[in-house]
Amino acid sequence: MALQSTILHMARKNLLQESCRQLLIQTHGLHKSVASGSLEIAAHSQADLKEESAVSPAEEVQKAARVKSLKEMPGPSTVANLLEFFYRDGFSRIHEIQMEHAKKYGKIFKSRFGPQFVVSIADRDMVAQVLRSESATPQRGNMESWKEYRDLRGRSTGLISAEGDEWLKMRSVLRQLIMRPRDVAVFSSDVNDVVADLVKRVKTLRSQQDDSQTVLNINDLFFKYAMEGVATILYETRLGCLENEIPKMSQEYITALHLMFSSFKTTMYAGAIPKWLRPIIPKPWEEFCSSWDGLFKFSQIHVDKRLSEIKKQMEKSEEIKGGLLTHMLVTREMNLEEIYANMTEMLLAGVDTTSFTLSWSTYLLARHPTIQQQIFEEVDRVLGGRVPTGEDVPYLPLIRGLVKETLRLFPVLPGNGRVTHDDLIVGGYLIPKGTQLALCHYSTSMDEENFPRPEEFRPDRWIRKDASDRVDNFGSIPFGYGIRSCIGRRIAELEMHLALTQLLQNFHIEVSPQTTEVHAKTHGLLCPGASINLRFTDRK
Amino acid sequence: MAYRMCVRVLLRSSSLLACHPGSVRSHAEFHHTVPSLCSQSQLNGSSSSKVLVHFVNQSGVKSSVFVTEGETLLDVVIKKNLDFSGFGACEGTLACSTCHLIFEENVFDKLEPMVDEEIDMLDLAYGITKTSRLGCQVTVERWMDGMTVRVPQDIKDQRGKQEAVSSK
Repeated sequence: MALQSTILHMARKNLLQESCRQLLIQTHGLHKSVASGSLEIAAHSQADLKEESAVSPAEEVQKAARVKSLKEMPGPSTVANLLEFFYRDGFSRIHEIQMEHAKKYGKIFKSRFGPQFVVSIADRDMVAQVLRSESATPQRGNMESWKEYRDLRGRSTGLISAEGDEWLKMRSVLRQLIMRPRDVAVFSSDVNDVVADLVKRVKTLRSQQDDSQTVLNINDLFFKYAMEGVATILYETRLGCLENEIPKMSQEYITALHLMFSSFKTTMYAGAIPKWLRPIIPKPWEEFCSSWDGLFKFSQIHVDKRLSEIKKQMEKSEEIKGGLLTHMLVTREMNLEEIYANMTEMLLAGVDTTSFTLSWSTYLLARHPTIQQQIFEEVDRVLGGRVPTGEDVPYLPLIRGLVKETLRLFPVLPGNGRVTHDDLIVGGYLIPKGTQLALCHYSTSMDEENFPRPEEFRPDRWIRKDASDRVDNFGSIPFGYGIRSCIGRRIAELEMHLALTQLLQNFHIEVSPQTTEVHAKTHGLLCPGASINLRFTDRK
Repeated sequence: MAYRMCVRVLLRSSSLLACHPGSVRSHAEFHHTVPSLCSQSQLNGSSSSKVLVHFVNQSGVKSSVFVTEGETLLDVVIKKNLDFSGFGACEGTLACSTCHLIFEENVFDKLEPMVDEEIDMLDLAYGITKTSRLGCQVTVERWMDGMTVRVPQDIKDQRGKQEAVSSK
């Protein structure tokens, strides 16, 4: 009996020592390097591991004991959080709260929002660690309200709302069509047609003002440009958003989309309010469902229209030509409901994200005329007066830098979510499987350690001396990273690069007497807190 | 049935187009956006030949494989089922850096130049070196015969570990 307990005791001791050693190796600190610093980025060498194993078991246990539980993690109290969000309108200041909390509690902290427990990470290397340890089907977070709507209406989930194998199947179909830069570059001429209409629209709008130069609320203009551009690629059709008279159906979609974003805050409240309270406070849920109905209806009309055209072509034994939607309908790698859902969600995801970035870009250019002139000179030197294509963009590093710097200062998604698929040790804390993480991209992009003088607008910080010069880092990953990164990234970049290049070819973008100082606010996405009004003066 | 026939006709015509870039079509038709349906060697009119490539994995184990010209190194790892944990998560769409490979300097210097998107993603790669490239962007050519490429020490991607566990 004594022998048995001795063996058990020794086995337990060995097991403890081994598990502590594993913990120690996992928590081995990631080497920090400044944005464009040395090439020695966080690699465990064999020597490191040998050095670790030379430590005595007692020391290992002591060191490993430093791995703390979530109980020990700092963070605001539930009451403080509720006050912040419900009383002090924290929903529109999520990006600022992120930074305040990171300052107050450190770069990893916990918070509770209603029934939801969240661990927030505001450190570049910890964000990198989380994203590098993803499963094959990473989970963003709680999309319960989206799923509930789809169940209620018998709808399929799309790329944003789906999870697991269902998500992976759809992603695998779509990523081969719209994620590779060379595949997206073929849409240049389609996007350029839309940009030509954007330039025309700028001229029309400014002519309506007393000074014949100011365009009021440029985000509305860019919203329509982005919608037209995305729809041209997704639906293979023009919607007429940049016309003087917007077609009724497109106008209905715009209304539904605005409702979706205006109801964001109330649906956030709804997420924190139990279902049994809905009969008492019905408005948030009703608005949410109503806006989704409008979005799905719009997609269904366009998908069905293309499907009937294909059927007619088949009946006549004609060769079927077309783009993304045609490919999806013909190959049938997804069923019709899945196509409706993905077209709806991709259009939803592709409009405001692009329009906000274009609004901020032009606002920043107007406020920094010297930088604008430098970028224009590059454009003029490379293109002359020629209309650019996707192939020209690599030769316009400052245009790329402009978009990257705008997204660093104003990341459309100020934070991103992940649910841990396994127990994970981050920042010295053991985070159990199934924990909701919030990756604080706004905080990391404004961190001095990642980007020196972070509050300054410097598109040239993204210019490389050569291919071995490191400028990107996990401090600013506006499109995410890895298998669950933004699927529309290359389309969005193409739309922004081509639009900004041609706006600069045509206009001096300037502040006008009606330009006020605009600050960001969170409205689901990080958006301008007020109308941006700018002057567009013809370049002689 | 008619539907399936239509798909076949469509794919056949698009593969013809892929091999005859001069065909006149509108710019953004779908056959331009699907992966090319004929290999680089077909485009060049040469018959594909085999090239010997040595891969050294994270544990230092060497695998030597014969590779068809025109394939990317990511294609090779997937087709030959090489055991590199978490390799090529985004399937070559330049959305991650998990197909990061380290080349010998003399080979690296001769590779096609990198596109901006590859450089951006390499910045986010783990354990980057001066001769790092993404495997999805490097196409095998005849002159590479006998080269050795190394998978970085620790990709920090747990997917491979998961797969290893689930396959047992």
